Amino acid sequence: MKKPRRDVITGIVGLLGCAFFLFYVQKIKMPPKLLEPGPRLLPYVAITIIALSSIALIIQGIKDRDKSEKPYFPAGGIKKITKSFIMLCIYALALNYLGFIISTPFATFAFIYDLKGDSKVKPIPSAIIAIVVTAALYLMFVFGFQVRLPAGKLF
Amino acid sequence: MVDYLNAILVCLNPVNLILIIAMVSLGIVFGAIPGLSATLGIALLLPITFGLSSTTSFVLLLAIWIGGVSGTFISAVLIGIPGSSSAIATCFDGYPMTKKGEAGKALGIGMTASFIGSVFSILLATVLSPIIANLALKLGPWEYFSLCFCAITLIASLSKGSIFKGLMAAGIGLLMGCVGSDPINGMSRFTFGNNNLYGGISTVAQMLGMFAMCQIIRDNAKGSTKMPECSVENMKGLGVSFKDIFSNIKTILFAFFVGLWIGFLPGMGSGISNMVAYGYAKSISKEPETFGEGNPAGIWASETANNASLGGALIPMMALGIPGDGITAMLIAALTIHGLQAGPLFMVEQKDLAMLIFACVLVSAIVTYIIQVITKRWFPYILKVPYHYLYTVILVISFIGGYGISNNIFDIYVMLFLCLLSVFMSIAGLPTSPLVLAFILEPKLEGYFRRGISYAHGSYSEFFTRPVSCILLLIAVACVVWPFISDAIKKRKNNKAAQGVVGNNG
Repeated sequence: MKKPRRDVITGIVGLLGCAFFLFYVQKIKMPPKLLEPGPRLLPYVAITIIALSSIALIIQGIKDRDKSEKPYFPAGGIKKITKSFIMLCIYALALNYLGFIISTPFATFAFIYDLKGDSKVKPIPSAIIAIVVTAALYLMFVFGFQVRLPAGKLF
Repeated sequence: MVDYLNAILVCLNPVNLILIIAMVSLGIVFGAIPGLSATLGIALLLPITFGLSSTTSFVLLLAIWIGGVSGTFISAVLIGIPGSSSAIATCFDGYPMTKKGEAGKALGIGMTASFIGSVFSILLATVLSPIIANLALKLGPWEYFSLCFCAITLIASLSKGSIFKGLMAAGIGLLMGCVGSDPINGMSRFTFGNNNLYGGISTVAQMLGMFAMCQIIRDNAKGSTKMPECSVENMKGLGVSFKDIFSNIKTILFAFFVGLWIGFLPGMGSGISNMVAYGYAKSISKEPETFGEGNPAGIWASETANNASLGGALIPMMALGIPGDGITAMLIAALTIHGLQAGPLFMVEQKDLAMLIFACVLVSAIVTYIIQVITKRWFPYILKVPYHYLYTVILVISFIGGYGISNNIFDIYVMLFLCLLSVFMSIAGLPTSPLVLAFILEPKLEGYFRRGISYAHGSYSEFFTRPVSCILLLIAVACVVWPFISDAIKKRKNNKAAQGVVGNNG
């Protein structure tokens, strides 16, 4: 069986999203004796726009089904982006539990290796850069811009 | 005038001037490196401005904006890859000039054209914005609703790819804007029982997640983080004389007005103006065949137009509170973060701050030119910055920014969710500009619409009977309908042509 075009998949996901939000629009409370359409109006408008566009994309995708479609990512790209995203999620959790000072040097080191592509990266200079970046950003934000950084729930 | 001169003096205050020089330099780097942009620079700077005064914040943000927009021609000229869509046409002749050993001249034209485009458009914006704001004060919620509606439909219909993708992105932006309490009755919407969502989705989290994070992990996955080698020959001197300017004056003037007008229209930013101006420069040239092979007029046209769009976009932002593109949407968000509301009232009630914005943009444009002239010979080195270090720092700053919004880790999770959404949108081919514009304009759109009906005692007719509102609604409808009509006309023409060919053969 032929793989469906991206437009068709986008349209189906769009329609599913519409169904999900339509269910939650019903839960928005309407104040009594309104002179105007109330808080449900704009969500309805947005859902209608998405639904109509989704249907149009499905039709367009079916019409163009015989045209070839280039993959968005090169080979191994999806694996790479998934890995990068998981790393971001782990860093977010680490910030929450361990705080900025402990988690950032490790995260910086890991990001350098993840983003290096074909470039050659040596571990010791990267570790030094990770520590320097953490210290510089901490000093700049905490003392320079008076922005608080996560201290970590465990500490 | 006094307010304006005072504002210029504020910008020339040593601390502010140093900040402008630093941010303009950073902006040039962000503009020059393909993948980074002024938009990303502003997104990263926004959280830093939380603890700063409004004046300092705007000095930082506007300086990086101007530097970023002006710097896009550097990579277009040196390696043939535009720093952003606003410099696509610059590549056509800029890179061939570099290959011919004229990189110095091409860069000189790029920065001089950028300077002319930005400075004169900013001066015009400074004069025109107060006049338009005074007129806008006479408008009611009906006209404002129609204006917001028109801006969203215009940007959605002009987005790359299919109009449905633009509309779908705008719909997602509207839905995201609905999260939290509604602007009239304060009823909670789509909060899913989470108190953190009651205030809505943070604009900063949205910008950082959808622009910074998504861009980095997507580029990494696509393997587009390696830069080609660039030439460093003939980089001495400015490379441009007054004679060059006067011999291209017709092209420069046309490109300037095209850029200004296109920048003024919502959704049609510098990405379109440079192409239109380039097309015109080619059409009036006595040697059109030399375009694409290193004709300097191509760079004059493209760079003057894309920088003139800057002043054009500033007019609706300042006078009406309507962003013309993604960057001005972010600047409006920055004003909101500092408790200010862009629009006609802001121009009247906060005249000093409004004039500071115009003055800062002007000073930044002048500083940008001076820095570019001094540092021109080092431009090729900007493109040698290793991506993996740069992107790593940007990622960590994004996390700091996400947390800094409300000192709550929840905003980081929102940022990650929006990053994921943005990745899926890129794969699906959905543009982000309509989403950002719709998200920023949603509270205004809804507020004006519901207020308009309330003021008219439940009647919808005012939207159609008030002339300005009606014209704007008609433009909005035309924006959505026109692509279909133009497609139908094209098809009919093609069919007729095909029938003609068959008839002739028969």
